[in-house]
Amino acid sequence: MNSAVMKKTMYFFVLPALVFYCIFWIFPIFKLFQYSVTDYNGYVQSFNYVGLDNFKQLFQEEVLSISIKNTLIYTAITVILGNIIALMIAVLLNASISGKAFYRSAFYIPTLFSAIVVGFIWSYVYMPQEGLIASFLEKIGITTWDTNFLGSYSKSLYSIIVVDIWKNIGTSVIIFLAGLQTVPHELVEAGKIDGAGKWKLFRFITLPMLATSVTINITLSVINGLKAFDFPFIMTNGGPGISTNTLIFAMYKMAFTDQLFGKAAALGIISFAIIIVITILCVFTLNKKEVSA
Amino acid sequence: MTTGSLFKKLGTHVLLLALVFVNLVPLIIVLSSSLRSPKNMTNPLNWFNEFTLESFISAYTRMNFPVALWNSVVLTVISVIFVVLFAAMAAYPIARIRSKTSKFLYIFFLAGLVVPGQMVLIPIIQMIKGLGIPLGQYTPILMFITCSLPFSTFLYTGFIRSGVPEEIEEAAYIDGAGIFVRFWKMVFPLLLPVTVSVVITQGVWIWNDYFFNMVFITKSIDAPLPVAMLGFLGDQQNPAQWNVLFAACILCALPLLLMFLALQKYFVGGLTMGSVKG
Repeated sequence: MNSAVMKKTMYFFVLPALVFYCIFWIFPIFKLFQYSVTDYNGYVQSFNYVGLDNFKQLFQEEVLSISIKNTLIYTAITVILGNIIALMIAVLLNASISGKAFYRSAFYIPTLFSAIVVGFIWSYVYMPQEGLIASFLEKIGITTWDTNFLGSYSKSLYSIIVVDIWKNIGTSVIIFLAGLQTVPHELVEAGKIDGAGKWKLFRFITLPMLATSVTINITLSVINGLKAFDFPFIMTNGGPGISTNTLIFAMYKMAFTDQLFGKAAALGIISFAIIIVITILCVFTLNKKEVSA
Repeated sequence: MTTGSLFKKLGTHVLLLALVFVNLVPLIIVLSSSLRSPKNMTNPLNWFNEFTLESFISAYTRMNFPVALWNSVVLTVISVIFVVLFAAMAAYPIARIRSKTSKFLYIFFLAGLVVPGQMVLIPIIQMIKGLGIPLGQYTPILMFITCSLPFSTFLYTGFIRSGVPEEIEEAAYIDGAGIFVRFWKMVFPLLLPVTVSVVITQGVWIWNDYFFNMVFITKSIDAPLPVAMLGFLGDQQNPAQWNVLFAACILCALPLLLMFLALQKYFVGGLTMGSVKG
């Protein structure tokens, strides 16, 4: 059945997807490399080649180091905290209790909201004085805390990270829960009989069996974190100052607000390199772990 | 049941309910405030102290709800149909043929997952103009299809490899059925479970996307729900507008929430499909 002619005909099936993918995804990346060495502004069609000037400029500016730092913090916290909380919820849900479907849905509902709606809702939660947290604190008599979450240089980044975790945790919970359900009950019982404590049961039986779900969840949240854009865009506009700029947000702003397409393309190339290196490192480490677990 | 395990269960329930409460408290307040009249400025923490649809009516007209809803449906349905067709077709040879080319194609598509859409956008606006593609209501569909291909092709390939063995095509092959007949008549129908998964995972993000829509759609009459929400930008800073803003949030989320409640089983199954099969 696997004749050479057959194979050639079969590849026709890839064509529609390949055409779209190459025109609208791969080709623009090459274009981006070209723009990164020009002074293109996005409107006037003529542009000059300026060599590595865009990159040199970027390396002298604060915005690059701040966006790299913010993106890394954003990714680290959403990956670690998000997955730990999701795993804890999934373990709780995996106990034989009634109403499992209700709880699962309750954690899943925020993932159904558009980022724009989530941004609006959490802007209210974080409002100083009249927002949810501020008025709750006032109700219970705490008035000395600073409640300007989104307007503070030190708190705004962490505040939007919380929103990201809130929005995406439902998906991770469902994936962990599906993984937990593949852990054979007999194995856990056998461990119990051998006198393993709760932590040991979890560490040496449950967690290794969860390897696939852990890999999927961590990979997806690493990619999601490195591409962070929505909440700086909707909730803080990168501010105050540039304190919540992520790489992708800084690039977008450079292109569409400051009309520096060439420089934005250069920042895009830098971001792309960072994203690829981190993703590859992460995938390789996880694959190794998965095999040895 | 012993009292010990009863207490343990009770404890789990209390803990879970507390977590659910913390998780959903912003949404409860949004719902309670949306049911107030726009003038009711008492603190949103006083839940459900008024029931009226005034704010909803105001939000409904301001975001032109029926038109926005229809635009969302059109954009999502067209995009998802193409995603399903293109991704299923592409996955077929990638899963069936064992060669360097198919391995390369698999990784080539998968690698697209790490590319941020915002990055591609800078050149793409120029390109779309250059290719003579008109900017308008349907332009985002091109990006929705493209963006969805990496993950969907990955899901389909995994499913065909593990769940649709070549042997099922053998009899048809001997009877002389061509590859197109075999794919569309035999393989494609068997892909239904993973198609459900693709429709749900990709449908949800396309439905909720504001970014590509915001960039390409310029006329408000063409705006889908998330872009109609952009019209409320700024209102979140102004407590006097909150009740209407919250009603708009509920209206925007409602179609998908209803869909989820009706098709819960498929949502959960669809999400876990890729993760368990790996």
